[in-house]
Amino acid sequence: MRPKKLIASIGILCMAAIGVSACSSSNSSTSSKKQEITWMDAAEIPTMDISKATDNTSFNQLNNVMEGLYRLGKDEKIENALATKTQVSQNGKKWVFTLRKSKWSDGSPLTAKDFVYSWRRTVNPATGSQYAYLFEGIKNATAITAGKKPVSSLGVKADGKYKLVVTLDKQIPYFKLLMGFPLFFPQQEKMVKSAGSKYGTASKYLAYNGPFVQSGWSGSNLSWKLKKNKNYWDKKAVKLNTINYSVQKTTSTAYNMYQSNLLDATALDSEQSKHLKENPGYTVRNSASTFYLQYNQAKLKALRNVKLRRAISMAIDRQSLTKILGGGNTAANSLTAKNLAKVDGVDFSSTISDNGYDSYNPTKAKKLFKQALKELGVKNISLTILSDDTDSAKKTTETLQSQLESTLSGLNIKTQNVPFKTRLSRSTAGDFDIVVSAWGADFADPISFDDLFTSNNANNNGKWKNKEYDRLIEASKNTINQKQRWQDLRQAENLLLDQQGVSPLYYQGQAWLVRPTIKGIIYNSAGAKYNFKNAYVEKN
Amino acid sequence: MAKFILKRVFYMFLTLFIVATATFFLMKAMPGSPYANEAKMTLTQRHIMDEQYGLNKPVIVQYLIYLGSMFKGDFGTSFQYANQSVSSLIFPRLAVSMQLGLQAMVLGVVVGVLLGAIAAIKQGTWADSGATVLAIIGRSVPNFVLAVILQYYIGLKLGWFPIAGWGSFSQTVLPTIALAVAPMAETERFVRTSMVDNMNQDYVELGRAKGFSRMEVVRKHVMRNSMIPIVTLLGPYTVALMTGSMVIENIFNIPGIGEQFVKSILTNDYPTIMGVTMVYSIGLVVVLLITDIIYGLIDPRIRLQGNEG
Repeated sequence: MRPKKLIASIGILCMAAIGVSACSSSNSSTSSKKQEITWMDAAEIPTMDISKATDNTSFNQLNNVMEGLYRLGKDEKIENALATKTQVSQNGKKWVFTLRKSKWSDGSPLTAKDFVYSWRRTVNPATGSQYAYLFEGIKNATAITAGKKPVSSLGVKADGKYKLVVTLDKQIPYFKLLMGFPLFFPQQEKMVKSAGSKYGTASKYLAYNGPFVQSGWSGSNLSWKLKKNKNYWDKKAVKLNTINYSVQKTTSTAYNMYQSNLLDATALDSEQSKHLKENPGYTVRNSASTFYLQYNQAKLKALRNVKLRRAISMAIDRQSLTKILGGGNTAANSLTAKNLAKVDGVDFSSTISDNGYDSYNPTKAKKLFKQALKELGVKNISLTILSDDTDSAKKTTETLQSQLESTLSGLNIKTQNVPFKTRLSRSTAGDFDIVVSAWGADFADPISFDDLFTSNNANNNGKWKNKEYDRLIEASKNTINQKQRWQDLRQAENLLLDQQGVSPLYYQGQAWLVRPTIKGIIYNSAGAKYNFKNAYVEKN
Repeated sequence: MAKFILKRVFYMFLTLFIVATATFFLMKAMPGSPYANEAKMTLTQRHIMDEQYGLNKPVIVQYLIYLGSMFKGDFGTSFQYANQSVSSLIFPRLAVSMQLGLQAMVLGVVVGVLLGAIAAIKQGTWADSGATVLAIIGRSVPNFVLAVILQYYIGLKLGWFPIAGWGSFSQTVLPTIALAVAPMAETERFVRTSMVDNMNQDYVELGRAKGFSRMEVVRKHVMRNSMIPIVTLLGPYTVALMTGSMVIENIFNIPGIGEQFVKSILTNDYPTIMGVTMVYSIGLVVVLLITDIIYGLIDPRIRLQGNEG
């Protein structure tokens, strides 16, 4: 087989003209001897500045090139990283961490001061950290971010070089989980100062202290490398020498590259996931995100009717919806995502009582809908469902429209698909009837979800208000008794779903192909997802 | 001629001013804020951030500041990439898109002219039909479909060229071909029509009467006269190709400007939207100006009209 003469000759002409030799792709395929893998992300890195990161891509990078007090292991298990010892006071409000001796990537020592500096920088309102809210509960953090107290009053101080003392306003049950989240990692003041406004905008403008150091990222380019960090305190445990990262925006391209060994992992779209289910590398990654419907109860009287909300929820066939969406999405019957948090070895979301309102039941839905129409004194109801304009969002609204209209006669559904930012701003402004919203947990605790629907939460766009619910969430935050806390959260979520304050639709999951010879990758659904510290290529 | 050029340059600046103004106010009318996690920010943070980005000033003041800094070539700081200047985002990516666009343009025009000439000279033969069919296919198959086919068969199955990526020349081959098909088809039709038209002119008869062979006349006169209209075609096409095709860039993992532009719109990254729009517009009007001037130089008739109208 020869290429078309024309193409060949033009190719040769151009090469002669530009003076380059045709070499094959610069990507080298993975060889098991080299302990090198090629990985992908779906988007460019927006920033490597710990205080400014807001997205998965950034957090995944930071989790592998930086390190905090703890590192999250398998199943969100908290493992000591820079902390060698943790002492907590009786009331849970004072934490003393003893740090190990460790170095920054430039060889300079890393001390407790670097933590103090990093945390203060993040809560400082002038930094503009959009994740500073996670510091809530650490002494004075909220007041500092609101500009009411000086940055120096934050409840964190260095006691000598290797002791970090943290004071809380109230105990935070998930505090250890937070400490494993990149937002709470140290930052090197020297680098922040010398890089100035360029800090975190390219590989060279960052000081690293994690298992890997990053190189070759210039700010918005599509490929870079993570290389083993020579100055990492636990470098013996790190087996990979190099992780070649590239940005892949087209799933068919990524899959082609996977097939020719240019990529060791590829995210699949819904069509591909249906075909490749049997492939040995097929893996579903849950993202600790739940998609749910919010009903605008401030704007529409009809949606304040609990029977109508229940009828709508029961007219939705979530199984067929997730089939249409494909990928790794699964039908949801709780707000808290599946496999997010284990309580005494049992997944929290599975302990939410099944009230029947979140499963498909057309007979009951019809009955409830009739009653609701009667109570409202109307013959029919028209509602618009608002959502994003992505493929899956369009599929979702179309499916909901046809399911609802075919089950509930007298209900007219219109759909509106707008860009993500527009959907957010309209949700916040209360400019919708029903909106498809999504939430991904920042850390592996149900409060990340259940907090959303207290009366005054900024994310409670439907303005569902329930005093008992508010009381339970508040109680869960102030009890020292763990058992009681789970009880409160469970009761709250049961109440929310009984009243259908929101209607869960599905838990998000992404289907992937991952080269089966790569072992030891730790993936957690919440917070920073990927941890490559112990990953390696199996020798054949 | 000087008067003609001056007038053109004046119109060019007027056009750019109108584009800048329209884009700025349309963008301000877009819903949403540039912040990714607005609901979780305190008011104080909002105020400080707005101040840093200059979003707290009255819109008209923002507009004037924006115009002023644009004159200095400063497009501000991106919202989606923390602390990165828009220029540093745009120009490396623009260079990539331009290289790809130019390659596609050259390939498309060269092949198009060849095919068009063959079709015209061999009017009514199988070669003519073949070239026409090629042109129709080129016009009607979207380039991203072709891109996927090329990638799968030539990249993956045959392994002649890399599947995707950017850096070596061989990586540019498939996307160049995918992008070149449309201008190739366009040029082919143009050249064929123009040549057939010219071949029926009196001067061809004259040349033949003087004893030149048909091929000689075609080569010396017809081809040259037929190339003039292509100049018109080249300008806008070059700009269209150089500004990057989002889909092609995504399929071949090319770090070009096309996709970045779309992303900046989706994330309300105002400074980047403005920056890219202005760079596109400047590119287009400059190319149009050059086209006009070249045209005026080649074809005296146009220059005369320019002076009158």
